[in-house]
Amino acid sequence: MSAIRIVLKKELLEILRDRRTLIAIALATLATPAVLFVISQVSAKTATQAYTIGYSGQIPAGLDVLFNATGLKLEQVDDPAEAAKQQVDLGVLFTTSAVEEYYDPTRQSAQIADVRLQEVLSQYDAARIAATLQQRGIDPSSVLNPLPLNQHPLSSPIKAAGNSFLSFFLPYILITMSLTGGLSAALDTSAGERERRTLESLLLTPVPRGQVLVGKILAVSLISLTAALAAIASMLIALSQIHFGGSAGAFQVELSPLASGVMIWLAVLLAVSFSSVTIALGTLARNFRQGQAYATPLYFITIFPASIILFIPDFNPNLAIYLIPILNAVLVLRDAIVHGAVAWDALAVTTLSLVATGGLCFYAALRLFTREALLVRS
Amino acid sequence: MTDPAVRVDRLEKQLGPNKVLRGISFEAQSGQIFGLLGPNGAGKTTTLRIICTLLAPDAGAVEVLGFDTRTAPQEVRRRVGVVTAEIGVYPRLSARENIQYFAELSGVMDGKVRQRVEAVIDRLDMGSFANQRAESLSSGQKQKVAIARAIVHDPPVLMFDEPTSNLDVLASREIREFMVESKERGKCVIFSTHVLYDAERLCDRVTIIHQGRVVVSGSTTEVRGTHHDLEDAFLAQVEGAPA
Repeated sequence: MSAIRIVLKKELLEILRDRRTLIAIALATLATPAVLFVISQVSAKTATQAYTIGYSGQIPAGLDVLFNATGLKLEQVDDPAEAAKQQVDLGVLFTTSAVEEYYDPTRQSAQIADVRLQEVLSQYDAARIAATLQQRGIDPSSVLNPLPLNQHPLSSPIKAAGNSFLSFFLPYILITMSLTGGLSAALDTSAGERERRTLESLLLTPVPRGQVLVGKILAVSLISLTAALAAIASMLIALSQIHFGGSAGAFQVELSPLASGVMIWLAVLLAVSFSSVTIALGTLARNFRQGQAYATPLYFITIFPASIILFIPDFNPNLAIYLIPILNAVLVLRDAIVHGAVAWDALAVTTLSLVATGGLCFYAALRLFTREALLVRS
Repeated sequence: MTDPAVRVDRLEKQLGPNKVLRGISFEAQSGQIFGLLGPNGAGKTTTLRIICTLLAPDAGAVEVLGFDTRTAPQEVRRRVGVVTAEIGVYPRLSARENIQYFAELSGVMDGKVRQRVEAVIDRLDMGSFANQRAESLSSGQKQKVAIARAIVHDPPVLMFDEPTSNLDVLASREIREFMVESKERGKCVIFSTHVLYDAERLCDRVTIIHQGRVVVSGSTTEVRGTHHDLEDAFLAQVEGAPA
């Protein structure tokens, strides 16, 4: 049996018997559906929740019906401005010529009630205008909507909304889980060797150290990959079952075969790169805890590129940007999900960049693994 | 006289700011227990680490069964087994799995691994706990696992670095008995310790080092000389050694 296979087999056996790693993978798998479920519950609640409007003055005829239909509950108060501070979500004073609105912008319930109030009033205005025009024998649509817009979407808007959501969420999950899913295993197999005092015995075997390292990296990569793909699979299943905003069919998530293939390829590259990085950091550390401290900045380094899509959704970089590790994976995956297409030159540069990053980290880990200080310091 | 199993020639080594070895030389024969003696910090562990190729010497040379540690480190590692006081084992593997892992890494032929592992388990009387996870073993049992993994590839040279320092009386006696048994099987046993009483009982030849230098070398009887025991002989030599 080759040394790489021997080390791989042993490391996997140890990792699978390690509660920390198994708990991390289980949490990774369950966390995303749980978060999505909570979001869906909150959005459903927000959509159906009634908000209270404290009013004074005479309500125009017919407006109360619109209020009730839009989930706005009317409650008569003496001072709408004072009531809007706490007693109700919004205060309204009806005068003969206008509607005075009082609300606190720092309260989320006031913001939602404000949007609904504006919706109700615009409906009321439109209805009143239409009725007046009809009384004068004029077709309301020719005045109110003289240039109608007829939309012809080239693909399903529901699917596009789903893909847009997925293009942010999926790279984020892929990157964070590729890193965190195998982190415990990586530190255990590197810093743990020193902490348990097994390193010296391992280095005494006639196996070349490079092969030992490859075996360890492969084992950690497999765990990272499993964690990332399990988290993504559970997320996709959850998205297919959960309805946001309380309305079924308003949000449709579908990962095309091309996007799936690109995602798996990037997951492999990221898992190997992250495993090399974390094992190199773990080799530098004297124990598991020190290894965790060394690895902490990695969270920030990985989360920033994943978030760029959130802040700049239409970010269309030139090819050189695809040399930046992690960011390149996010961009390639985003394009594959949103557009259902891959720019092959971008994918090639991304692959080259991630392979080079993994290679450099492997080289660093090997240098650390073969230096005398590793034994003398321990 | 036959060629020595281990030949150490004018070894020098600096670790950080400290000159740890300052020209150590000695030879150890097969079929003998060779004692590498000296107080803590004398340079015993560094010498053993150079012999087993974990560290490279700054000057001097080491040969193990004719193989130079610089030019043929893997050949040397195949022929050496090392037992240290640090009995680190893989806690989530059983005793048997720990031994099997090192058998495979040490190049025991695929078809012979199981046979070698079982032979070592029998020899060290480990049958009762071989399937237990290492994390649940006592210190003495872990030390047996450490010995088993060091000898599972049947190396002709065995090195023990303070092997009894963390063990109770019974476990320590088993280690001593094992060293004698290995010597009787024709192995070259190098026993590094600061417990001179143990060395006096076990070793055929000894080299005492102090501050990185050899202060005396020879058969145990020769080194003891007219002194009451090795400890007295060591103190007499150290008091006369250059600082």
